[in-house]
Amino acid sequence: MASAKDEATKVIYQFYDALEDLLRTRRTGAMLEIWHHTDYVATSHPFGSWARGWTEVKVNWEESAAALDNYRGHDTRTDGIGAIHDLEMIVLGDTAYGTGIYRSRLYMSDGELDLVLNCTTIAHCIDGVWKIVHHHADQAPLAWQAAIGRMVAGHS
Amino acid sequence: MEVPEAPHSFAEVGSKAGGYRFFGNAEGNLRIAAWGFWPIEVIRVFGAEAPAATQTLTRTSVFVFDGTDLKPQGTEGQEAIRMLFHSLTRLPFAKGLIIRGNAMTCMQLARLLRECGAERRLEFADTLPFGT
Repeated sequence: MASAKDEATKVIYQFYDALEDLLRTRRTGAMLEIWHHTDYVATSHPFGSWARGWTEVKVNWEESAAALDNYRGHDTRTDGIGAIHDLEMIVLGDTAYGTGIYRSRLYMSDGELDLVLNCTTIAHCIDGVWKIVHHHADQAPLAWQAAIGRMVAGHS
Repeated sequence: MEVPEAPHSFAEVGSKAGGYRFFGNAEGNLRIAAWGFWPIEVIRVFGAEAPAATQTLTRTSVFVFDGTDLKPQGTEGQEAIRMLFHSLTRLPFAKGLIIRGNAMTCMQLARLLRECGAERRLEFADTLPFGT
């Protein structure tokens, strides 16, 4: 039988797999499934302020996917967009948090766009099911945010 | 220059969690300040009132959508904003601005502008222009 730490670690990696799927395919199904849908969930993205409660969190992930409608950098590539590195897990009863470094690379029309951020993700076990209740990423550098903004506006 | 019927107007809908205000002035300028995450009650009123409020715009008007404190909106909220942007594409006004706030909100507004064909009528700015 898997330990609580194993289960929590698995769900944190599934969260980043869901993020990769969202970024690559614009599909939000896996990301929406990995969260507990409650009013105490919260998320903060590299280019946004806090979203609190499931309704706002869901909108943030959907908008993240929509923002990439103009992105074509991975249409012909097979490498991953991003991944979590140096993940450290702490389990405290039915709650666990993972700290790590998220590294990603987007291929824009004017070159590579790299991002390196500290991230914290919290999972909660309810009725034996571990799911995400909190995700926080550092704010991305303004130059990165501006590049994404140009892409959304259709200029990159 | 045309003078709007109501030289100064002010209306507020919603609560601290989510809502909007209209500001009009004697020059025919219109500013909509929006904040938070809109509940369905606010969305319904906005969907009816915002396009109507833009009818006061004239060829010399400045229109400002102040999204400084606005969060990304859900499906219904996005549709209400689309209705506003659609109405603006058919109206004469001198300058249209969206005041930047939350970067993800900016992305959403940029996408909605593009979907409505209004991206050439409104531009993003960091601060409010004087007099609006």
